[in-house]
Amino acid sequence: MTTLLSVEKLEVVYHRAITAVQGITLSVQQGQIVAILGTNGAGKSTTLRAISGFLGIDDARVTEGSVAFKGRRIENRPPNEVTRLGIVLVPEREKVFPNLTVAENLAAPFAPAMSNAQRREREELIYQFFPRLAALRARIGGLLSGGERQMLAIASGLVCRPELLLIDELSLGLAPVVVEDLMQRLVHIRKELGITIVIVEQSAAVALDIADYGYVLENGRVVLDGDRERLTSHGDIQEFYLGQSSGDRRSYRDVKQYRRSRRWYG
Amino acid sequence: MQLTVNIVVLASIYALIACGYVLIYRVSRVLNLAHGELMMLGAYLLLATANSFSGNPAVAIAVAVALSLTVGVMVYVFLMRKMTGEMVLAAVLTTVALGILLRGVMVLIWSAQQQYPGQALGFSNPAIALPGGGRISTFAAILVLMTALTYAALFVFLRFGTWGVRMRAAGQNPLLAAQRGINLHAVYALAWGLSTLTGSIAGMLIALDSGLTNTMVIIGLKAFPAALVGGLDSLVGALAGALIIAAAEVLSIQYIDPLLSDVVPFLVLIAMLVVRPWGLFGTREELDRV
Amino acid sequence: MSDRMPRASGYFRTGYAQEMALTKTRLERVSLGAFVIALLVYPHLASPFYLDLASQVFLASIGALSLMLLTGYAGQVSLGHAGLLAAGAFTAGILSKELAAPIYVTIPAAAVTGAVLGVIFGLPSLRLRGLYLAVSTLALHFVVVYLGGEYETKRGFSTGITIDTPVIFGFRLYGGKIWYFILLAFAAATLLICVNLLRSRSGRAWRAIQAHETVAEALGISVAGYKLLAFVISSAIAAVAGALFAYYRSFVSVEAFSLFLSIQYVAMIIIGGMGSLLGALLGALFVTLFPYLIEAVLLKLPDAQSYAGVLFAVNYAAFGVVMILFLVFEPQGLVGIWRRIQSYFLLWPFKHKPVAGARK
Repeated sequence: MTTLLSVEKLEVVYHRAITAVQGITLSVQQGQIVAILGTNGAGKSTTLRAISGFLGIDDARVTEGSVAFKGRRIENRPPNEVTRLGIVLVPEREKVFPNLTVAENLAAPFAPAMSNAQRREREELIYQFFPRLAALRARIGGLLSGGERQMLAIASGLVCRPELLLIDELSLGLAPVVVEDLMQRLVHIRKELGITIVIVEQSAAVALDIADYGYVLENGRVVLDGDRERLTSHGDIQEFYLGQSSGDRRSYRDVKQYRRSRRWYG
Repeated sequence: MQLTVNIVVLASIYALIACGYVLIYRVSRVLNLAHGELMMLGAYLLLATANSFSGNPAVAIAVAVALSLTVGVMVYVFLMRKMTGEMVLAAVLTTVALGILLRGVMVLIWSAQQQYPGQALGFSNPAIALPGGGRISTFAAILVLMTALTYAALFVFLRFGTWGVRMRAAGQNPLLAAQRGINLHAVYALAWGLSTLTGSIAGMLIALDSGLTNTMVIIGLKAFPAALVGGLDSLVGALAGALIIAAAEVLSIQYIDPLLSDVVPFLVLIAMLVVRPWGLFGTREELDRV
Repeated sequence: MSDRMPRASGYFRTGYAQEMALTKTRLERVSLGAFVIALLVYPHLASPFYLDLASQVFLASIGALSLMLLTGYAGQVSLGHAGLLAAGAFTAGILSKELAAPIYVTIPAAAVTGAVLGVIFGLPSLRLRGLYLAVSTLALHFVVVYLGGEYETKRGFSTGITIDTPVIFGFRLYGGKIWYFILLAFAAATLLICVNLLRSRSGRAWRAIQAHETVAEALGISVAGYKLLAFVISSAIAAVAGALFAYYRSFVSVEAFSLFLSIQYVAMIIIGGMGSLLGALLGALFVTLFPYLIEAVLLKLPDAQSYAGVLFAVNYAAFGVVMILFLVFEPQGLVGIWRRIQSYFLLWPFKHKPVAGARK
């Protein structure tokens, strides 16, 4: 398996003052589905944004470390360049164009080197992945339901022919049934298109269901990583992320103290 | 009847200029307060090409039009691009400074005298008698036609053209547009080019109709309330706003006081800002985007 | 006046009086004293031309300080400052011409006019922000200038209103030196008012509103009240500046108060450096002297005569270029440059101040 994406000791600083991510190292193999887990503010979204590129208005920079895609360094490049190299981000918020129709949302993305016929073929393929969208072609993006909007977001990302698809907080605000459905579609898309997927999730149970490998982030650092079996059987993951405690009742105070003093082992 | 003709002509002038403000604002949230000066530059470019290609008006016009498009793109590429990512207000002040710079340069190159590109091109401007008793000069009629054509073309382009959709997308969510492979700088440069092009056409036609004077910049400035009253990000709004402002101006000159002509657009603007700041057809969120 | 830079050790404040003092260290006191002495001595050494130059700078400073208060500190963008200057000038002109009012009546009257206009200019700020607020102030500027023009035409002063030399208690206020000191006094008073306003509750409220309006409101600051206060105070001061301008030139005409003048004042606070009273002063100095600089440069060029006719166009072009340069390359203005020089010397041999929040 070749390493598609390699992030080494990444450090991201916002507004020249706030270090959001300190020394993250992770790698993604071709064809995998990799999950990045962690609570709020752990730095998951920042890591994805750092990979896919910041705009000037974000006032953020990768100040140390590197992001390498297929061997080439890509950190601190503008998002449209990174997209053309083959990495596409489905962001957490504002993931569709609210005043464009579904069809226009799929027409707007810029796909490198595709003739009109190839473009139409691609769109048809995407409509097969998401049949619901085909029925909604003329609906305005902002009026879609949460699940439909997420489908549209992924679909518009796929138009750009990514080799690596980054999805930020897929499950946020969606009913479990809808999330389950989307996850299965992702597995299907991975199989059909042969792309690699990185999903960032707060909900570890959902992510570990389909992921091959996972990283756990806390306070801007990687504290644990492993394949699915390792993560789901790891005691701390079970307790803090999967909600399964082992053994007798414990008081909340014990848990909190333990959390503060525990040490992660690799 | 003549009153109606005057309103239609003035509204066409304002509308043709206003769509330039709307194009740039809709796509990049920047208010281009140098639009009046760029419009005047277009007219001067026509004068220059008219003198160079004096035997061949068609070529002169074509070259001037092409030059205006280039000027708009260059203004973005060499100046405004450096201000993307900065605060919108700083970008707007940059356009103000650009306008001042252009005004000085235009006087230095061409002097402040009144010029007549129509004469240089050998055009005459006879008045056409209209059914109902009104009269309209030839170039004013051409201007009304051009406004209609321009708006039709813009509507079609933004609605159905691939890059039109991309321009709208970049206006709604620049970050997402970039993440979908759209080169924002290219989109913005296109917006600036189109805006300067339409403004220059307006400037050229005004100059061909009634001469090239300093008042052209004032006309450009008065067209901006038209854009705002209609809604800074709506082309339909620019049309509506232009009609309203033109009607208010012509009627108040006729029935109240001729001196009011320069201030009426701004009175209408103030009224609109008090009642409905985002304009008749603008999107409401615009207000909070500072 | 805030302690941004590290100070030499051994500097302690032991009482509230010391905390409140305007000059805190001996160096500050000495430099301020030397500066004041230089200002007082200047008129006796300078030719009338340079005297007039200095007076113009003082006059511009009054307007620039008031605009800095409004836009630089309270965050309310105003592109209509020339309208307020015009209002003050016309108040002085109308009152002295129609009612033969003396100067100690017209100047306060101008302040009152400014304050009333300030409320009108400020009302849009309760609903609008940023770009839309700037646009509303622009529109109001045109309305004010139109009214001035109406008055001129209707009363027959088509070329402008001339104002007689003001007389206080039999003493004629005439002459370069007298006006130098009058304008210096007003500029100093304005500076003192601004400094104290900014150190007080109003100043803190304005800074809060500029930083984050919603949070300021949530903290109990009356955002609407303080916004209007900023407009009222700034407009009153600007109107006084306009009235002084009318007396200084003995002439009021609506052409002097164009949009370009508004932009010049905005340029003053940008080139000077937003959010700093020193910036307002530096900006006023720069923008006032700039045309003279351009003229001097042009005269040095060969073929100088041919440029004489287009001097104003060269001024426009050069002004536009400088404003663009500052906006693109030095958004923090002259004060930013000054602070960089300061910190270079104060921090040497270190290169950078430690950034708050950085790990290193």
